[in-house]
Order: sequence, then C-alpha cells, then structure tokens
Amino acid sequence: MSAPRQTKDAPVTTGLSQKGLSAGTVGLIGAVVIGISCIAPAYTLTAALGPTVSAVGLQVPAIILVGFLPMLLVAFGYRELNNRMPDSGTSFTWATRAFGPWIGWMAGWGLVAATILVLSNLAGIAVDFLFLLIAQLSGAEEVAGLAANPFINVGVCLAFMAAATFVSYRDMQTTQMLQYVLVGFQVAVLVLFATVAIVRAAGGSGFDPTPFDWSWFNPFAVPSFSAFAAGLSLSIFIFWGWDVTLTMNEETKDPDRTPGRAATVTVLVIVSLYLLLAVALIMFAGVGEGEYGLGNPDIQDNVFFHLSGQILGPLAALVSLAVLTSSASSLQSTFVSPARTLLAMGHYGALPPRFAKVHPRFFTPGYATIVAALVASVFYAVMRFVSENVLWDTITALGMMICFYYGLTAFACVWYFRRQWFDSVRNVFFTFLFPLVGGVVLAVLFVTTLVDSMDPDYGSGSNVFGLGLVFVLGVAVILVGVAVMIWQAAVRPDFFRGRTLSLEAPGSLRRRNRAH
Amino acid sequence: MSAVLVGYTATAEGADALALGARLALVTGGRVEAVLVLPGDDRGAADPSDSGYDRHLRDTAREWLRDGLAVLPAHVPAKGHVRYGESFAAGLVTAAAEFGAELIVVGAGGGGLRGRHRVGSVASELLHSSDVPVVLAPADAREVPVDAGLPRITAAIGTRPGADVLLEEAVSLAAASGAALRLVSLATIDLPAGADTGVIRLTGATHAEAVLEQARASLPPGVTASAVVATGDRIEDAVGELEWLPAELVMVGSSRLAQPRRLFLGSTASKMLRELPVPMVVVPRTRGGAGARA
Repeated sequence: MSAPRQTKDAPVTTGLSQKGLSAGTVGLIGAVVIGISCIAPAYTLTAALGPTVSAVGLQVPAIILVGFLPMLLVAFGYRELNNRMPDSGTSFTWATRAFGPWIGWMAGWGLVAATILVLSNLAGIAVDFLFLLIAQLSGAEEVAGLAANPFINVGVCLAFMAAATFVSYRDMQTTQMLQYVLVGFQVAVLVLFATVAIVRAAGGSGFDPTPFDWSWFNPFAVPSFSAFAAGLSLSIFIFWGWDVTLTMNEETKDPDRTPGRAATVTVLVIVSLYLLLAVALIMFAGVGEGEYGLGNPDIQDNVFFHLSGQILGPLAALVSLAVLTSSASSLQSTFVSPARTLLAMGHYGALPPRFAKVHPRFFTPGYATIVAALVASVFYAVMRFVSENVLWDTITALGMMICFYYGLTAFACVWYFRRQWFDSVRNVFFTFLFPLVGGVVLAVLFVTTLVDSMDPDYGSGSNVFGLGLVFVLGVAVILVGVAVMIWQAAVRPDFFRGRTLSLEAPGSLRRRNRAH
Repeated sequence: MSAVLVGYTATAEGADALALGARLALVTGGRVEAVLVLPGDDRGAADPSDSGYDRHLRDTAREWLRDGLAVLPAHVPAKGHVRYGESFAAGLVTAAAEFGAELIVVGAGGGGLRGRHRVGSVASELLHSSDVPVVLAPADAREVPVDAGLPRITAAIGTRPGADVLLEEAVSLAAASGAALRLVSLATIDLPAGADTGVIRLTGATHAEAVLEQARASLPPGVTASAVVATGDRIEDAVGELEWLPAELVMVGSSRLAQPRRLFLGSTASKMLRELPVPMVVVPRTRGGAGARA
C-alpha cells in the first residue's frame, strides 16, 4: 500500500496518526461477517433461486458449485490488481491502464450499470418483504398483495431508495455489534427455514415432496449448454461481493493470512447455506409449475416471499425480517461501489469533474451517490411498468453485466501483468492462468446469454419488439454506455487521449534484476 | 510558541474557524495548526474499506487544507494536518494534545441565523469532551480581517461559583494579546405574573453588581477591567443590551454540570451563544490537560 508521502516544504502534513491507527482491528470472524453481510445471502437467494431453477431445473446445487469457480478465478486477478494499483475506480482504472481509455470506460460503465441494476432489485425485493412482514404481523393477508400494485410498489421503493441514499450520503455506519447480530440472525433464520423444509418434505407434508437425489449435484445433467450458461451467469450473481474479503488487507490483524482465511471461511459458509436452501426448497416444493412449485413463473422472482408462509407458518415473519435486514445491511456496501467508481471516472476526467466531488463534511462521493440513486430509481420505476417480472429480468440482466465487467477486469489483469507472467510460478497462476480462464468463462457466458436472450421467451418471457427483455436491457445498457462515452470523448478529450490515466505494463522483475 | 488548533472543513464554517484561529494566533504570537479530521476505520464495520478511496480522500483533504491555508496572509505561521478520528470532535481533542494546543477553534455558524451561533452536533460533542478552551466562530467570522487584532475580551461572570478559572484565562489571554478586559454580569428577571418589575430588576441587578465587584477585586494587581451589568427579562434580552465590537471575543465558563476538566455549555451560555454576534470561548471549569499553563 502506498506510504504517505511527506515532502519537507509542503505545508500540509498527514502525520503519524494514519488510518493505520485502527489498522489490524478486524479479526477472522469480523472479516467473515463483513463478507457475508456484503453478499447478503437471504436477499440474493430469494432473488436468484427462481430464475436459476427456470434455467437448469433440478441441477441448481450443481450450478451453485460450478458458478463459484469463475468467480474465484477472477477474484484472484482482482486481488492482484488491487494490490498493485489500489484505486477507488477498480475495474475502470485497471482496464484503462491495461487496454486504454475506451475499454476502461466501458468496464467502468459495466460496473456502474450492474450495481445500479442490483440497487433497484434490492429495493424491489425489500418492498415485497416489507408488505409481507406487515401482513404476517397484522394477520391481514391482503396487505401482502399491495406490493403487486405498481403505483404503491414504485412509491414505497422510491422511499426506500431515498432512505438508503440518505444513509450513504451521510455515511452513517452501523456498529460492528449490530452487524454481527444482523448477520447471525440472517444465517440462523436461513438454517431454520431450510431445516423445517427438509423435515416437512421428508414427512410428506411438503407442497410437492421431491426425494433428494445426488444427480442434483451433477452439472452434466443440465439439458443444454444454453441452460447451463444461463444458470451459471445467475450463480455468479449470488457470489458477487465475496471478493471484498480477499481485498481486506490493511484492516485485518494478520494481513498475510486473515484475508485468505476469511475468504475461504466466508465462501464455505455461503456455499453451504446456498446448497442447504436449494436442496431444501427443491425437496419441499419441487421444480414443477404448480402453485408453489419452484418452476411456477409467478413465484420465481421472489421465492422466499411465496414459500416462507407455506413452510414456516406463523414463524414466516422471521424470514421476511431476515431478508429485509439482509437487503438493508447490504445496501450501504452496494451503494458505495457505483459512487466510488463514478468518483474515480470524474477524477480522471472520464466524466464531468463534479462526479469527483467529495462532500466536505461527510467525506462521501456525494454527487456521484445521488446520481446513482436517481438513475436506479428511474430505472426501477420504468421497468416496473414495462414488465411485471421486473425483478426476475433485472437479475438475469445483472448476471450478464457482471460477466461483462468482471470479464474485462480479468483480461485487464492478464494483459497488465504480461511482462511479469513468468517471473515466478505464483505469477503464472495468479496473473496469467487463473484470470485468463475466469475471463474466458465469463466472456463465453456473456455472449451465450446475450444471443439466447434475443428469444422473446427467454427469462420471464417479457419481450419488447419481439426481442427478449433481458436482451433489450443488456444491449440498451451497453449502447447507452457507448453513446455517453462518445459524448464524453467529444467534451473531455484529455482522458480519451490517455493524458490523465496512461497505459502501463510493469516490467519483469527478473529481467531488471539480471541487468543490475 | 503557543498553538491554536483550528478544526478545519472545506466549508464556510471551516473558513470562519480558520480566519478566527489565524487572528488569535497573531495576537497571542502563536501559530495555527489547522486539522482536517477524516473518519477512521473504527466507527463502523459495514463498509468494506477501500484503500483506493482512502487515498483519494487523503489527497482531497490535503488539497482542501492547502487551498484553505493559501487564503491566509503570508505572515501567519500556519500548517495543515490530516488526522483520523472516530468523530470530528474526537480527532480534534487528540490533535490538540498532539500539538499542545491551548485553544481549539471551530466554526459554529452553519444553519444558524446570519451572524449568529448555533451549537451544532459537532461543537456540542467537542464541548463535552475537550479539556482545553473551545472557541466557537460565528457565521461570517471569515469577514473580519485576520489583522484586525483583538480590541477587547469580555468575560461573562456568572452569579455562581466557578468563575475563578474563567477569570484567570481571560486575564492571561488579555495579557498575551494586549486586549482590554471587560467583565459582564447578566441579570435576568423571571417575572411572576403581576410582580413588581422594578423591585425584581433592582434585586437582580444588585446581586450581579456584587458578583462583579468581587470578580474585579480578585484580579491580579495591575490588571484593570471595566465592568457592566446587563439586565433583561431573559438572558437573550440582557445580551442584546450590551454593545459589541466586531472583532472582540466573549469568554464564558463551562457549566457546573460538566465533569472536572471537561467543557459543557450551560443553559445561560447556550442562550448567550444564540444572540452573540462575536466569537465565544468556552473555558473548562478546572485547569488541566494540555491547556494547563503555569
């Protein structure tokens, strides 16, 4: 990490009381809690399980296991880049360094678009569960149906977004204790939910009791490559956010070991939870298209919402609360990411300079935060009226956008370190092979999903002009990005001529050593 | 050389604090240590830290300090520092100890009426935790020239015990800066309906005069001070009765409810603060900590 530079004549010092004063405060458990909180398993699974079942049927557990691999491979590259060039622009900055301004700009755009998609989805899920929770607690079942009214839904969703924006803008933090409690509660409720589902399915009182079968774990049982790709790009979404544990260096007690261990423990906890829940819900409800079957398009965009009452009865309110708190606690970390990337883009002149403004009192990227919130709100409002299955389709489009910018990031790692690939055996794997394979997998997923989603029946079956809504979303996001980029290139040529952020490729350390 | 610690932010209040801090440093022959406090890691855990953003923040903060200090005239000895703290106030208290500062200056003008103080949450937290006198700069304090000097110090002597430290601080600051000293006692009359206004006013004023006389008597030999009793139905009215010079300073003692060596603004001082067009210094009830002067 960069040491504070102190020049003698500069009247401004950064002094000894660095941020490092509080460094080393995060232990293994703390890092795992932060990791789980960022992934928000209760939220991600309720949003992604349905679409994944519709893509791969019974093989959801297999897809969850396989989906982790490209994520892991890319995360290694992410870590290399983060160690070498810590920068709040992450993918944007790294891709610009490796491939130049145009590709870098699009990588930044992809990151921002993906996080804005997830923000609107997060708020949408939270709205559903808010009404469900009120219905469960008050006993007035009709309240849960209010969430389906687009006007009420959009209104409450915008209120949520406003609250989340306020919290991010003011940089209000939850205490570590509260975060422990929230994460602990979330995990406990999910385990309870899964256990009861399994017990009831085994006792024959499930909706469509489906006996467990090991073939669920067999990725080769997925009928087609398209289905496999669709499932995979969804399961990449459920691990999204996990990489933060890998990059927590400075604040951990033992920077050499803690991040690696924390990442491992986090992913074990998360994978176990996902597998347990996926298996439990398939055992309980099957993948058929019956009223509560996981294959029923009407429940697929939010399966916990529809199944928690069936499985837990009066205790279902716990699931609602867990998903609500899970969404809420991941909101801050989710909001931070597009705002910081926009800030970096403003800083390097890829966007208007006001994006780089830091709030003088709250020290947050205030302008960028508000822009991200506004775009996410407008996006959600429009989408809610365009498609009833907005949550479903945004999750699929989101998976695609993650493949896009993560793939670019992986390739950026490979290309950036091209002169150091063979410096050591470690480098061969971490700067060349791992990110290259991860990047190729994501690129294949991206292209396959894009081609397949042209089919109007793809995903939820919503379509625009005879093209699948997911395709329209994905292409529109990228084309708008290209348009804005060309506009910015005309107004702000400096960045696009490489004057603010130049191409770079660190030379081989071996060759340099030999020269001396 | 004594240090005046300025709690700086890149806002109007920050400019108020810096201008006032520079003026106080000039009149006392001290230096300005402008500190910008960034949030440390230990406040919360939800936000995965991002060393890239941290660096950007640090660079931005240094730039803010550089720009802020550039406005000061060249003959003001001033340095800027970026520090980390759990809160703005906590960071300032730590920095005051680091620099051996004798005063902490913060802007308190934000959101209040024009030209008036408003104790925000930051100033309020600082008043609860600082062990050195805290100076609250009102809005528009930046309009007073840095070279305006310090024509007068007004010490608001309460009617209850605990004024001795305040008096000592006022005397020592007046001596260091060459300012005139004015002792003020505020007398209020909380009128029961139908009470004889004149009588109560008289009693209050008499009591205040006695307190003032006592305070004057306890001044070290050779120190002179003018004394005024201000009366009004409310503290606000009493304060309004006094005349103020634009560049003067008012000093009040910390509340009796404050812990020893900690500041806390009592109700009278809070009310005064709302009315005052001039900077206010809040002095701890007892001596100690970094602010101790022999």
